[in-house]
Amino acid sequence: MTTPVPMTREQIDQSLVAHFRPVPAGADLTRRVLDRLRENRSWERFAARIDVEASDRGVRLVRPGGGAGAPPSRAAARLAGRARQELHEYFAGRRSFFSVPVDFTGLRPFQRKVLALTHRIPFGETRSYSWIARRIGRPDAVRAVGTALGRNPVPILVPCHRVLRSDGGLGGYAFGLDAKRGLIGLERATPVLEGCATTGILCRVGCPDAQRMRDDSRVVFASVADARSVGYRPCRVCRPADPE
Amino acid sequence: MITADRALMKRVAAGDERAFADLVNRYSARLLTLAWRLLGNRADAEDAVQRALLRLFRSARSYRPEWAVSTWLYRITTNVCVDELRRRAGRPILQQAGEERAAGGQGLRFEEAAGGAGRRLDLKRALLRVPREAGILLALRYVDGLSYHELARVRGISINTVKSQLARGKSILRAALQGGER
Repeated sequence: MTTPVPMTREQIDQSLVAHFRPVPAGADLTRRVLDRLRENRSWERFAARIDVEASDRGVRLVRPGGGAGAPPSRAAARLAGRARQELHEYFAGRRSFFSVPVDFTGLRPFQRKVLALTHRIPFGETRSYSWIARRIGRPDAVRAVGTALGRNPVPILVPCHRVLRSDGGLGGYAFGLDAKRGLIGLERATPVLEGCATTGILCRVGCPDAQRMRDDSRVVFASVADARSVGYRPCRVCRPADPE
Repeated sequence: MITADRALMKRVAAGDERAFADLVNRYSARLLTLAWRLLGNRADAEDAVQRALLRLFRSARSYRPEWAVSTWLYRITTNVCVDELRRRAGRPILQQAGEERAAGGQGLRFEEAAGGAGRRLDLKRALLRVPREAGILLALRYVDGLSYHELARVRGISINTVKSQLARGKSILRAALQGGER
């Protein structure tokens, strides 16, 4: 560690000016943005066709193509409706977590373990198949983990799209690799902690209390502590918290 | 300038790609620098600016004319960058250092003015000590000379908070660069 040469206020100011002096962006920036605008649209059709089946306990099935069976009860219908709403918000980039429960009844213990662990991978992050195999105590079962995830009955809610190969390759996805890539991109583009400039309240994106927030009130934060440092307070409904 | 910007935004909201290109050309250098300084490398900064502009184009209809277009752009771009910083906070520091190295430390090379590379390096190190929210305000203040009022709008905070954060950030910088109290 070298000790910096002491600087005067003017020198500090000059250095800041130099440090933040605009650097030209590439001339093709507009084209690249417009290209991305077009490429993003292709997989949204997949999102529009998704349907949901639920039991009294939670969502049992998420699949594209519609044709879900009639709900067995009113509670099941309510859960399916909630899941549809949450999925809709998720695809619109307005939700970073799901609160609707899933029902793993009837699944074998191994698959249940794999899915339960996958369920806890944080929004916007990824893990590898071998990470899951290690964490469930079956380090040799990487392939079986892949198979269990490939038969995930509740994709998206249980985010098997967040599981990639250790070498960074995408691995597989029941709905196709474009959809997997699309979901990862969607989660990168969706913020997680959003404050409302009007109320000074910090929410997790998707909080029911924040759905009506105006676009020009949305201020993104990197942590709950940051938001607090400039006077925001965490929402009592969605309870945002910093990771340990 | 401000009325011209608003006219452009109106056309962007109608899906006019040429108006969008004009707007991008007008602000791209400042947005890229802001993102670069917040994120530390050019590749992530370019990606963030592209995503911010994508958002701008898609949600152009939710733009409210009582906002200066520049303030609106800085809000959107800062939001994207800050979310990227949140994501990084979850990753081990060592991995981040590796990524910085892989990015070639480009931040240090291109500007030799105002006292040379040594001083720039000192400044970069000192800026790392500034708390995140204060650092964001400093970046916005120096990239485009935003007023306290504009800074308050971009971060959704009061003007008093802007002033106290900037003062705190600068005093931390001074302490780091002047080598102790003065």
